[in-house]
Amino acid sequence: MEAGSSDAVVVARVLRGDVEAFRGLVERYRDRYARYAFHMLGNREDAEEALQDAFVRAYRSLARCEDPERFGAWLFRILVNRCRTLGARRGRRARTFVVDEVALLGAAEEHPAGATAWREEIDRALQQLRGDQREAFLLKYVEEMGYDEMSQLTGVGVSALKMRVMRACERLRELLSEVYDA
Amino acid sequence: MRDETEEDIEQIARELRVPVAVGRSLDARIMNAVRNLPRHTGFGLWSRLITPRTVTVTPLVWGIMAAAVAAFAVLGAMHAGQDLHRAAKPIASALFPAPKAADRSQRVQFVLVAPDAKKVAVVGDFNGWDASHVGYQAQHRGGGVWSVTAPVPLGHHRYSFVVDDSVWVADPTAPRVTDYDYGMPNSAIVVQEQK
Repeated sequence: MEAGSSDAVVVARVLRGDVEAFRGLVERYRDRYARYAFHMLGNREDAEEALQDAFVRAYRSLARCEDPERFGAWLFRILVNRCRTLGARRGRRARTFVVDEVALLGAAEEHPAGATAWREEIDRALQQLRGDQREAFLLKYVEEMGYDEMSQLTGVGVSALKMRVMRACERLRELLSEVYDA
Repeated sequence: MRDETEEDIEQIARELRVPVAVGRSLDARIMNAVRNLPRHTGFGLWSRLITPRTVTVTPLVWGIMAAAVAAFAVLGAMHAGQDLHRAAKPIASALFPAPKAADRSQRVQFVLVAPDAKKVAVVGDFNGWDASHVGYQAQHRGGGVWSVTAPVPLGHHRYSFVVDDSVWVADPTAPRVTDYDYGMPNSAIVVQEQK
């Protein structure tokens, strides 16, 4: 894909039958959205599955993308929904594992130090948030979206989103308090 | 105090904003999957016009459309004589083909008893799970009973009530769906054509 090609131009090419042009959209948004999927689902394998699923669904429904210039935002909405579905499907199965893993890591590494350990603690705390709170926190603080934008994306009211973000922050502070103290 | 607590969250967010790289093989997997799908063949505006989309059409609207078709046929006959009159039927049927199941809908009444609620909306796969969708806002009918009658396309659907923009409540009168989003309770509905 030419560096200057807008999303609308690439979408138009794909809609005219140029399947390979879709690779340009994959390359443009793959890494940008991998971060959200990874933090939402907690591991690389599930994140890649969600990304693949989102891109394939986007391709299949491309003619329904009402504003091709904002293909990225449309794709992100699909990805957020795929992460919800994948997260819910695997949540119950993984919950026991996550708790056990956290207990195991906590026992082996009671006083983590250094940047890597700090980052691991954050990842671990993030995965202990409720799915809806994790989603709201990531959209607000990591993707740096405004509440109105988040509301449009998720279909959840602004007041409910603010509550989720607040609860997520409280829980993160609680979970990471020992690390802060250390 | 506030600045300090904001700063700790910002510190966490900075760590999480670091890009996450995925395997390069992902591109190939996506492109392989895409190549196995039907190739798009549309052209600009025309592709938009012929793209299938969900359109809710009530029986009343179909009646109006049928009347329009009939008027079109009659006017055609008046202006162009018997030959065109004979041609009007296929033209009309091409313009307004029989609706597919996904394009047809039935009006469904949703009822929830929620005495303490200030607002109740219906969300489902038929309205994009959008709690602010105008057509799916329930009205308080008195005694804590909230209801709304809204169009739902024929077929199987999942839905839920959203109370006060925050609490998801499954329909106590409908079967639950086991595949939750976020553990939020969903209900199942099958909408069939009324005979």
